[in-house]
Amino acid sequence: MSTNATPAPTPAPTPASGAAIELVGLEKTFRTRDGDVHAVRGVDLTIDTGEVVAVLGPNGAGKTTTLDMVLGLTEPTGGTARVFGRRPREAVTAGRVAAVLQTGGLLRDLTVAETVRLVASTYPRSVVGAGDVDAVLERAGIAHLGGRLVSKCSGGEQQRLRFALALIPDPDLLVLDEPTAGMDVTARREFWDAMHAEAATGRTVVFATHYLTEADTFADRIVVIGAGRVLADGTTDEIRARVAGRSVSVDAPADAAVRDRLVTAASALPGVHDVQVSGGRLHVSAPDSDAVARALLVDLAATGLEVVAGSLDDAFASLTQPENQPEEGPR
Amino acid sequence: MNTTYLALEVKRFVRDRVTLFFVAILPAFFYLIFGVAQDFGSQSAGNGNVALYIMVSMAAYGAVTATTGVGGAAAIERMQGWGRQLGLTPLRDTGYVAVKATLAVLVAAVPVSVIAVLGVLTGAEGTARAWLLSLLAVLAGAWVFALFGLVVGLAFRTEGAVNAIGGIVVVLGFLGNIFIPLSGTLLDVARFTPLYGYVALVRYPITEGVLPDNAGGTAATDPLWLPLVNLGAWALVLGLVATWLVRRGRGRQ
Repeated sequence: MSTNATPAPTPAPTPASGAAIELVGLEKTFRTRDGDVHAVRGVDLTIDTGEVVAVLGPNGAGKTTTLDMVLGLTEPTGGTARVFGRRPREAVTAGRVAAVLQTGGLLRDLTVAETVRLVASTYPRSVVGAGDVDAVLERAGIAHLGGRLVSKCSGGEQQRLRFALALIPDPDLLVLDEPTAGMDVTARREFWDAMHAEAATGRTVVFATHYLTEADTFADRIVVIGAGRVLADGTTDEIRARVAGRSVSVDAPADAAVRDRLVTAASALPGVHDVQVSGGRLHVSAPDSDAVARALLVDLAATGLEVVAGSLDDAFASLTQPENQPEEGPR
Repeated sequence: MNTTYLALEVKRFVRDRVTLFFVAILPAFFYLIFGVAQDFGSQSAGNGNVALYIMVSMAAYGAVTATTGVGGAAAIERMQGWGRQLGLTPLRDTGYVAVKATLAVLVAAVPVSVIAVLGVLTGAEGTARAWLLSLLAVLAGAWVFALFGLVVGLAFRTEGAVNAIGGIVVVLGFLGNIFIPLSGTLLDVARFTPLYGYVALVRYPITEGVLPDNAGGTAATDPLWLPLVNLGAWALVLGLVATWLVRRGRGRQ
């Protein structure tokens, strides 16, 4: 990338007042032969202009369906979606929102530059000036690939072409649905470098991912979605504290009454978000494991203490398990 | 009309050498076998000779092969996510259809031109009016079969189905009375099939509706309204089904 060497090809998007995305009671139900599938079950979410937000969730959580409704590709079956105060389709037509979709979506027998030219031709001249093809390819880091057929491009190169297509209308809001799926480590890092450059100009960026580390390093705010609902919503630090805490375990007392008292007392400790008994051990999850360990040993007279660093992925999996019902943000 | 998109579509078609070959050459080859190589080519078929009659029939077959291919390719594109990509642009469905319909007519013009040139060189004869109206009917009616390709592709959602379209067109061609003259019950049934109306319309300026039988006599006579109603009804049905299928397929694949 040579974004530092050349002056910014376009001015930063004009900061608009109010929300970039406003979802109220958003629902989507698909009719299938096996009955209704409730992909999205009432999502309320407001994303302000200039925010960089990660939408995090396992496969089938409803991320793509939610983003499809933000982009006007799918009509909600309940609730409303607004983008910059307009209907999503109007925002797309005005070139204020663009997206990098998860898979497919390219014509294999066109070259990279031709693909950009085709998509650019669908916008009115007022949105896209003439001769922007090279600039867009440059910003997406594929200026050297203009003459190559799409079918001859690697997965990572095709993904950056999709990124270039999204940059054509110079959108105020960029939506990325699992943008680095299928990329190797190098391609992934280069992609995020290019994204950092775009976000630095004040663009609102919303991206879906199931890589916790991507959300952690790139987003200011993380929205965790599972089973079609918002499970958690907060700054990266808040979410990380919640999902990446340590697990403190002690011997579970044999006597049921004593054990229940201990569970109740442990649950009441500050910062604790999960207490479970399994295999004769009592597991307490909390961001501040030292405080919990001290309280368990000194105040609650627990024995056999162990402290284990929970892996990010394990903690995240526990957060998005169906039995973990929605709560409003981290405690 | 988005001319940039149309120009790129033409470029894609020219790049696909194999399809281009079959679209441009195969119907011309059929004409040479069924039309030129037969000794009855110089006999009269009304406002032209039998060679002209077979020439416009093969031109119609070539045009249908070309336009069903365009429609089927459009269906595959949409299934592979290009419809979602276009859904992120200001391009409307009507704009997309206009590009594809124009492309279909341009592509159909390739085999039609090749066959017409061969016809002039190999003894197809007829009144100027018969030549002009027949070839115009070939091009004007061909777009209906782009809808046919689109519907088959969108309904079955596999590349296999789209590849099978060529075979379906051959079967419909027989029912459309293109290759061998039909008679009796088979002819009664054939009158309801999609290629029958199109081919009958294309031949009408030459035959004025007279249907030949195998012995060189007359099997039946179709009034002009019959091919018009057949083609109009199929255009309406295919248009409605295609619209419904495109709407159904816009969401996630």
